[in-house]
Amino acid sequence: MSNLKVNIAGVEFKNPVITASGTFGFGKEYDRFYNIEELGGICTKGLTIKPRLGNPPPRIAESYGGMLNSVGLQNPGVEHYLETDDKDLAKRNVVVIANIAGSTLEDYIAIAEKMNEAQADMVELNISCPNVKAGGMAFGVLPQNVEKVTAAVKKVCNKPVITKLSPNVACIADNARGAEAGGADAISLINTLSGMAVNYKTRRPILFNNNGGMSGPAVKPVALKMVWDCYNAVKIPIIGLGGITKYTDVLEFMICGARAVQVGTHNFTEPCGARDIARDLAKYVEENNMDINDLVGTLILNG
Amino acid sequence: MAEMKDREGTIVSNVHVAKDIYKAVIAFDDLPEGIKGGQFVHIKLTDNSHVLRRPFCICDFDCKAKTVTVCYAVVGEGTKELAGYEKGTRVKAMLPLGNGFTPDESMKKIVLLGGGMGSAVLPAIPRAFGDREYVTYLGFANKDKVVLEEEMRELTGSVVVATDDGSYGRKGFVTNILAEDMAKLKPDVVFCCGPEVMYKALKKALEPFDVPVIVSLEARMGCGIGACLVCNCKIKLNGQEGYLRVCADGPVFRLDEVVL
Repeated sequence: MSNLKVNIAGVEFKNPVITASGTFGFGKEYDRFYNIEELGGICTKGLTIKPRLGNPPPRIAESYGGMLNSVGLQNPGVEHYLETDDKDLAKRNVVVIANIAGSTLEDYIAIAEKMNEAQADMVELNISCPNVKAGGMAFGVLPQNVEKVTAAVKKVCNKPVITKLSPNVACIADNARGAEAGGADAISLINTLSGMAVNYKTRRPILFNNNGGMSGPAVKPVALKMVWDCYNAVKIPIIGLGGITKYTDVLEFMICGARAVQVGTHNFTEPCGARDIARDLAKYVEENNMDINDLVGTLILNG
Repeated sequence: MAEMKDREGTIVSNVHVAKDIYKAVIAFDDLPEGIKGGQFVHIKLTDNSHVLRRPFCICDFDCKAKTVTVCYAVVGEGTKELAGYEKGTRVKAMLPLGNGFTPDESMKKIVLLGGGMGSAVLPAIPRAFGDREYVTYLGFANKDKVVLEEEMRELTGSVVVATDDGSYGRKGFVTNILAEDMAKLKPDVVFCCGPEVMYKALKKALEPFDVPVIVSLEARMGCGIGACLVCNCKIKLNGQEGYLRVCADGPVFRLDEVVL
């Protein structure tokens, strides 16, 4: 019998397709286009203890086969989330992952503690946002810091914790080990690649923030390799993301070691894109009468 | 359950109308009802190297023919590609998005003010609300850039065109020319679309007149539906500044609330 269900840290997903943080709001907008319950899970916009205004515009620029963003974690704050979207999402038959971020270790501990009041199923720890000046990225660069912040959050948070890893590091496998040593229940990767878009006429970066995080189909090969590297470094489950636009991309990520995937930029290109990937995946699994979990980490290296 | 959908349309025509400016008519099998001026269409380009859709204001629409018209200047890679689409090209599009211009009952006489490409927002306004009295003012840099004069004359009767250099119509900034005529026009509201510098000038020029001014903003967009928070504009509400989403909270705002 075919199977599309996956399990990450004891949480069952009806399929391995999750929408990536920051590309899907809190699900409301896309719910007008399709029933978000067709997805395996949704990952919320990054939440912080206090509301954040974010960076001035422009916050987006296109690149060949990709894009850059510098939103800077604009969000209404965790209190607002708990009173509104958390309640609304809890009524839906879809796994909810609350993405949390901070500037200091104390911030991370405070918000992680606050998340115990949430009905969200899991917490994703954003230690790799390239678009906020303080903190964020600072916790995501060195393996010992990844371990430290993960351990601090694990100590106070009673939900499964996914540590989201940055690709802008010396060795992502070391950071995966750091997350695992800190007690992470899973890791997700890759966050965006640090980049810049330049206007040759004005000689200025297009983004007000100058730098931004690059995502989209152009980054997929980088992400696949990093997922494979991490798969060989840790035992905890991996959620793979980076440039997924079709169901065969999901198969590739799973073959490289991902247990589930996130779809981000593609939501902008195709508003029903994540749903269509889930549907196509279901069809593939049924046609091949397979358990999708059997694909995980089955990459056969050459030579 | 789903009240919105991604639609597929066919390019019916795509013609060069002025220097670097094109007008495309796109037909849809199921054009949604209730389109308003100021709303936009989020078009997916056919070349997949473009991951972002491009937002264009709905310049005009025809419920019977099930078409929308977009009028655009070639300014970057996306508009360059769009300008090359021939009749019959299929494009995916989300529409109508955004709030649009909605005159309330008290707004019986409306000035439509366009600056440059911003003029492309105007025709759909009288098309959607035909039972109002309109006067149109269009401003352009020079005569090579003049667009939509005939369309607006057909829709609103009275059209004043101004060029900055005086090469066509009245000479000067259209904001000042409108201000000169305000005393005799006595409109209930001014609906405007143009560049940000124009809004600054407009604010100043219309200061002596007690008239509400509603404007449409432009921004680089991601999702187009309010989820990604990249197209924000600064708005002052109840004395507090904050970001609102151009795509979902706008693109139409009260000028006195926009932080320029």
